[in-house]
Amino acid sequence: MEPNPQDPLRDTNKDFREHSVAEFFKKNKHMLGFSGKTRSLTTIIHEYMTNSLDACDEHGILPNIRIEVTEIGEERYRVVVSDNGPGMPKSIIGKAIGKMLAGTKFHRYMQQRGQQGIGATGCTMYAQITTGKAVHVLSAHKGKAISCDVKVDLKTNEPIIENMAEQDASYSGLTVEAEFGEVKFDKGAYGVLEYVKRTAIANPHAQIELIAPGNEVYKFARSVDALPKRPKEVQPHPLGISTYDLQAMAHGAKEAKLSAFLTESFTRFSAQKVQELKGLTDIDFSKNPKELTWEEAEKLVNAIQKLKWIAPPLDSVIPIGKEQIEKSMKNVLEPEFVNVVERDIKIYSGGIPYAVEVGIAFGGKINEKKGEIYRYANRTPLMFDASGCAIIESVREIEWKRYGIDMETDPAVIFVNVSSVHIPYVGAGKQAISDIDEVKQEIKNAIMECARGIKMSLGRKRKAGDMEKRKTALMRYIKRLSEDLANLSEESSKAELEKKLTHIIETKYTANMDEEEEKPAEKSGGEENGNGEEE
Amino acid sequence: MATEKKSEKRNEDQKAYDNLVNLGKDMVSEVDRDTTPTFETSLRGKSNILFDSKDGYLKLGDKTETRKFMNLGQARTFMQTISIANKLKQFIREGLHTSIRGLYYQMKFSLGDDLDESLFEEQSESNVLVEDLEVAIGAKREDFHLTTDRKGVLAGNIKLIDRFGGEEITIDGTKQGRSGWMIPSDVDNGMEIESVKADYVLVVEKDALWQRLNEDRFWQKEKAILITPKGQSSRGTRRLIRKLADKGLPVYVFTDCDAWGWYIYWTLKTGSMNLAYLGKEFSIPNSRFIGVTMSDIDRYEFLQKLTINAKELDIKRAKEMMEYPWIAKHPEWVKELKKVLDTKKKIEQDALQGQRLTFVSEYVRDKIENNEVLP
Repeated sequence: MEPNPQDPLRDTNKDFREHSVAEFFKKNKHMLGFSGKTRSLTTIIHEYMTNSLDACDEHGILPNIRIEVTEIGEERYRVVVSDNGPGMPKSIIGKAIGKMLAGTKFHRYMQQRGQQGIGATGCTMYAQITTGKAVHVLSAHKGKAISCDVKVDLKTNEPIIENMAEQDASYSGLTVEAEFGEVKFDKGAYGVLEYVKRTAIANPHAQIELIAPGNEVYKFARSVDALPKRPKEVQPHPLGISTYDLQAMAHGAKEAKLSAFLTESFTRFSAQKVQELKGLTDIDFSKNPKELTWEEAEKLVNAIQKLKWIAPPLDSVIPIGKEQIEKSMKNVLEPEFVNVVERDIKIYSGGIPYAVEVGIAFGGKINEKKGEIYRYANRTPLMFDASGCAIIESVREIEWKRYGIDMETDPAVIFVNVSSVHIPYVGAGKQAISDIDEVKQEIKNAIMECARGIKMSLGRKRKAGDMEKRKTALMRYIKRLSEDLANLSEESSKAELEKKLTHIIETKYTANMDEEEEKPAEKSGGEENGNGEEE
Repeated sequence: MATEKKSEKRNEDQKAYDNLVNLGKDMVSEVDRDTTPTFETSLRGKSNILFDSKDGYLKLGDKTETRKFMNLGQARTFMQTISIANKLKQFIREGLHTSIRGLYYQMKFSLGDDLDESLFEEQSESNVLVEDLEVAIGAKREDFHLTTDRKGVLAGNIKLIDRFGGEEITIDGTKQGRSGWMIPSDVDNGMEIESVKADYVLVVEKDALWQRLNEDRFWQKEKAILITPKGQSSRGTRRLIRKLADKGLPVYVFTDCDAWGWYIYWTLKTGSMNLAYLGKEFSIPNSRFIGVTMSDIDRYEFLQKLTINAKELDIKRAKEMMEYPWIAKHPEWVKELKKVLDTKKKIEQDALQGQRLTFVSEYVRDKIENNEVLP
C-alpha cells in the first residue's frame, strides 16, 4: 500500500486546476493503458466492455454485448460497443463519457471490475487526440433514446455535448461509437480478440459478440443463465486503503473532525483504534479531514499497518464460482478436460479478504502448443505487465512434471482469478498482482490443487488409452491363436475360441485392470555359444 | 492316406504328438474357465542351470516361467508358440521333416491383410520357441520332425535299421569303406540299433585322425566303434554315442590337447550350459578322456618339439574351464589346465603321427589297455 509517486491519479488530483486535462492525458496516457497501438485498442475495448458488464450486473440484466471493430484507414479504426444494459439518463452522459474522474465507480467500495474511474472518458480523449472526432453515444434509458456527440473540453475537463436528439424507445441499452487513430487490431496475445475471449471466460453469464475487421464474427455464447451474486457495498477496511485513496476520501468528507471521518468511513475503525493511532503518530485527529496533507495521509496509512484489525466481512468477496468457470472454460475453449478449484476466502496483510479461483483446461480444441496463463482480477483479464505478477511467478515455481503437464509443449490453459475489494495490484497500471508472500502462496496452492485434478484426468486418459492399445494389440493375435489352438487341441472350434478369448480380453481390459506387471517373455537360453557348439 | 501315415508313427514322435495335443487341450480348458491360456516352461537362463553331481550332467533347475496370452508383453510370443506347436504337430502327422529354418519359412507370413505384422520376422524368434516347446513337452526337436545338421561319421561293427522314405534298410558299419557312415540328425525316430559287436566306443575329434585310424582298420582290430564328430558333436552324433553308452559300451574320447578340444570332451560328457535342457538324453557322464593331455608331452619325448603356442583364446577358455565346478572337482583336470596356463603351449592330436603314422593306433590302444584315462 505504499503510495506510488508516479500515481497518475495523484498527479491529477493535486494539479488538476493548474494543468489542462489534455496535457495531463498526453503526459500520462501510457499509464492509463494507452501505450502501444495494439494495447491501446485493447484498453479501449476493455473500458467499454467493463462499463457494459458492470452496468448490466448492477441492474440485474444478463449482458448481451456486441463489439464491432472496423478498419477505416491506416492505424485507424471505428469501434462500436453496444449493450442491453440500463442505458444512461441524459443528465449523466456527459459526466460518464466526457469528464475525467467522474465515473460512478470512484469512491465506491465494493468488488468490481475497473476501478480507475477514468475509463470511458479516457477513450473519448484518446479519440479526440488521435482523430479530433467526438464519441457518438446512443443511450436508451427508461423509454427515452438519447443520441449525442461527446467531447471533453481539454482545458476545463468539462464535457461538450453536441447534436443531442431524443426520441421514445421501447428498449434499453447503450451504444458508444468512436474513431481512434494510432491503434491496431491484433489477434495475438495482447490483442482485442484474446481480450474478449478471456473476458468471456470470466463472465459466463454474458453473451459477447465480436465483429473483427474483415467482418470476422466471433461469438461467445452465454454459458450460465444466472446473474453473478452482487457484491455488497462495504465500507473500506483500514488495511486496504492507500495514501491517495485516504487523502481523496478525506477531502470529500462531511465530518468536521478527522477522527470522526475515520470512524464513520471505515469498517472496524473504532474510537479505541483512533486512540491507538494517536500513540503512534503526531497527527492532529481533531483537524478537518479536508485539510489532511499527503504527508499526514502517508503517516496515517503506515500507522494503520502497525495495528491489529478485525478482518472485514468476508461476504464482500464474490468469486465467479467453480461451476461457472467450468462451464465457460468448456464453452469457450472446448478442451478435453477441465478442472476448477474454488478456494476458501483468505485474508492478506492481516485484514483484507480475497479469494483465488483456478481452472485448468487441457487438450481438446486448445490450439496453444504450450501452457497459457490467463490472469484475472475480479473477472477482468490482466493482459499486460506479466513479468511482475504473482500469478505468473506461482505458475513458474510449480514443478509441472509432477502433474503430468509439460508447460513447454502441452495444450493447457491455466485460469487464475483473484477476487477482492482490494486487489493488491502492482502500480497504477493494474495489470499485475503484487508479489505478497501469502497471496502468492495461496495462488500457488490453488494451482497445485487444481493441477492434481488434471493429473488424475490425464492419468485416467492415459490409462484408458493404454488399455485400448493393449486390447487392440491382443485382438490382433486372436484370430491366429484361435485357429492354431483349435487345431492343436483337436477340441473346440476357431470361432468358439475367438469368441471366448475376445470376451476374456474385453473383461480384463475394460473393467478394473489388474496391476500385474506386464513383462515380455524371458528369452531363455544359456551362455553364449562360444565354441561353435552344434545344437 | 493320413490315417495310414499316422499308424506308421513310431514311439517317440507319437508321444510328442500326444503331448502337443494335450498342451492345446489344457489351454482350451483354461479358456473355457474364462481365464487366460497359459504356457509353462523351464527357465533356461544361467540362474536355472545346475550340475547334478549324482547324475553327472548339467540340467535345468526347478525355476519355471508361466506365460499368459493376456499379458501384453507375452501375447505375441504366446501366439507364436502355439503356432509352432500346431505346425510341429502337422509335421509329425504328415511324417515329413524339415530344419528349424524350414519351419521358420513355413511360419513367416502376415497375420492379416490389414495388419503390418508377420507371425515371425526373424528366425531367432522361432528358434528359441522350439527350445521352449522341447522343454515344456519333454521332447527333443527330432521328435518334432525337425532335422539338424549332420556331421559325425562312424565305422565299426554295428548294424542299424533305417526306416526312411517308405523303405527299410540295414546299415552295416563294417561296410562303409573309407568314408564311413554319416550319422543322421535323428537316431531315435525311424532308426534302431539292431546289433553292436564292440568293446568300446572311440570318439576322435578330428576327421583326419579318424581317417587314419579307419585306414588302420582300428575299429576291427580293437573291436571299437570309431566315431568322429568333426569338432563339436552334432545332436545326432551325441545322441548315438549316448545310445551306445546306454548299451554298456565304455566311451573314450580323443581330442587335441587344448582347451577347445577338451571342452568337446566335456560337452559330450556333461552336456553344456546351452543345452542343459537336453542333458538327460544327450550327456554321457561315464565317458573317459584318453588324450591328448599336457602330461603326454612330458611322457612322449618327440611331442615336445611338436607343441605350438597357445593363443589368448585358448588361455581364456582354460581359465573358464577351471571355474566350472564339475571340472574343478577333478584334480587331474585342474593339473592339466594349470599346465596350459603355465607353459602356454598346446598340441594337436595330429602331432601323434609325427614319429610314424601308425603311432596313433598304438597310443590309443596303450592308453585304454593301461586305463590311463582322465575322468
